[in-house]
Amino acid sequence: MKNWKAIVEASGLDLPARDVDRIIQPLEALEAAFRPLVRNLSPDVEPAFRLQLEDPE
Amino acid sequence: MSIGEAAAALRARQVSAVELTEAAIGRIDRLNERLKAFITVTAEYARHRARQADEELAAGRDRGPLHGIPMAVKDLFDMQGVRTTGGSRVFRGSVADRNSAVVERLETAGAVLLGKLNMHELAYGITSANPHFGAVSNPWNAAHSPGGSSGGSGAAVAANIVYAAMGSDTGGSIRIPAAFCGTVGLKPTYGRVSRYGSLPLGYTLDHMGPLTRSVRDAALVLNAIAGFDERDPASSRRPVVDYVPDEGCSLRGVRIGFPENFYFDCLDLDVESAVRGAIARAESLGAEIKQVKVPDIAALNAVARVILLCEASAVYDPYLSDRSQFGPDVLALLDQGRLVPAVDYINAQRLRRQLVAQFAKLWQSVDCLLCPTTPNTAPRIGDTKVRLGGRDEDVRLATTRLVRGINLLGFPALSIPCGLSTTGLPIGLQIVGPAFEEALVLRVGASLEDGGVGISPWIEP
Repeated sequence: MKNWKAIVEASGLDLPARDVDRIIQPLEALEAAFRPLVRNLSPDVEPAFRLQLEDPE
Repeated sequence: MSIGEAAAALRARQVSAVELTEAAIGRIDRLNERLKAFITVTAEYARHRARQADEELAAGRDRGPLHGIPMAVKDLFDMQGVRTTGGSRVFRGSVADRNSAVVERLETAGAVLLGKLNMHELAYGITSANPHFGAVSNPWNAAHSPGGSSGGSGAAVAANIVYAAMGSDTGGSIRIPAAFCGTVGLKPTYGRVSRYGSLPLGYTLDHMGPLTRSVRDAALVLNAIAGFDERDPASSRRPVVDYVPDEGCSLRGVRIGFPENFYFDCLDLDVESAVRGAIARAESLGAEIKQVKVPDIAALNAVARVILLCEASAVYDPYLSDRSQFGPDVLALLDQGRLVPAVDYINAQRLRRQLVAQFAKLWQSVDCLLCPTTPNTAPRIGDTKVRLGGRDEDVRLATTRLVRGINLLGFPALSIPCGLSTTGLPIGLQIVGPAFEEALVLRVGASLEDGGVGISPWIEP
């Protein structure tokens, strides 16, 4: 589990403790769903910053 | 009455645009205090535009099917001289000095705009329980949410205030209120409708589209708003077509995919029954139903959430110095986005490329997919959990479970009503097609609608 409180502090974000507590669980849940996907990425896969659903003219 | 029927009545001089507009204003006066569907009503402007529309028709200038038709737009589309709040305190005094592309095109097509519709704050949520402008109510049951984020759009169309309303969809925000309010909702292909002059949430996920009373009405609106716009960097140059399905169109020869994984897991029983019934109806209408295994939708959802968290926080980071301006749910999401590292955002966009390619292969075996729009019916206003498949689920994550991933792919998706729950709440059927195949998706929707899939319109108590 990431130390989200330390990450908040290191990021220089001045968040109230109650607000930090509120976001830890959803961030952890997303981390659990997302991290395994990243492990399967090979270096040749480029990002799709803009969808290319058609050939440019 | 549909747009097509109102348009015919206008041309037969059975009704005038002024009369249609006055009727709509009357309904706003009667219903808006309860529904909270509008943030700003532009009644005088609408009356002026309606008079113009009547004068033009009398003079033989016909702008097409939307000429003189009362409509409204979600309060994130700029309308010159009118405030664009985005449902947020941050922009409560922000008056637009230009028209958004959508407003521009609707007005060119002759639509009469009655104002700006309430929404989930900043379009970042699915309840439309707006802390600044009031919680939008569902016309079918005022204790229930209309969905969101385009909740005012769904409520205004379902309550017959306007013939059509514009919404935006970043993770289901057109299709969810359409499903919960019993209207049609179309999310076109990414790039098909210009985003120019609309408040962004997720730059690579935002789509603009209509909510209407019928599938053909959605096609008529799409005809007016689709097309290249150089002011939107993501706008597609692909030529537009006539999206309106032919009268008597059929499902014969259409290969419809019936997902055997994910889409039918953990559904409300009424939703499952209604959607399976609609798919059976599609088969009886001549479609070929093929069971298909869809790519990993849970992965799509996780990737879409990472991208949206980062993009939305990038947009609104400059405003977070005053945290009191944001509602707690939106603030929590904006805080989360500030903690996702850039590496994760880039890897999410890499995964997106893989997932688009995987999903595109599906279109080799089927022409479109049919599935539920949401696993649930409209939750009660204030509910944070929903019980599905014997377990409690976060209401936002449950409600977006079957729609969010399609925004990542950019494919067109249509929600049409396909039944009512035992408690009298609408249920949505989702039709997903390949990129730029709006005409096919609309044809399937219209064929089902013509074939009896749908619900009776909401009647004012």
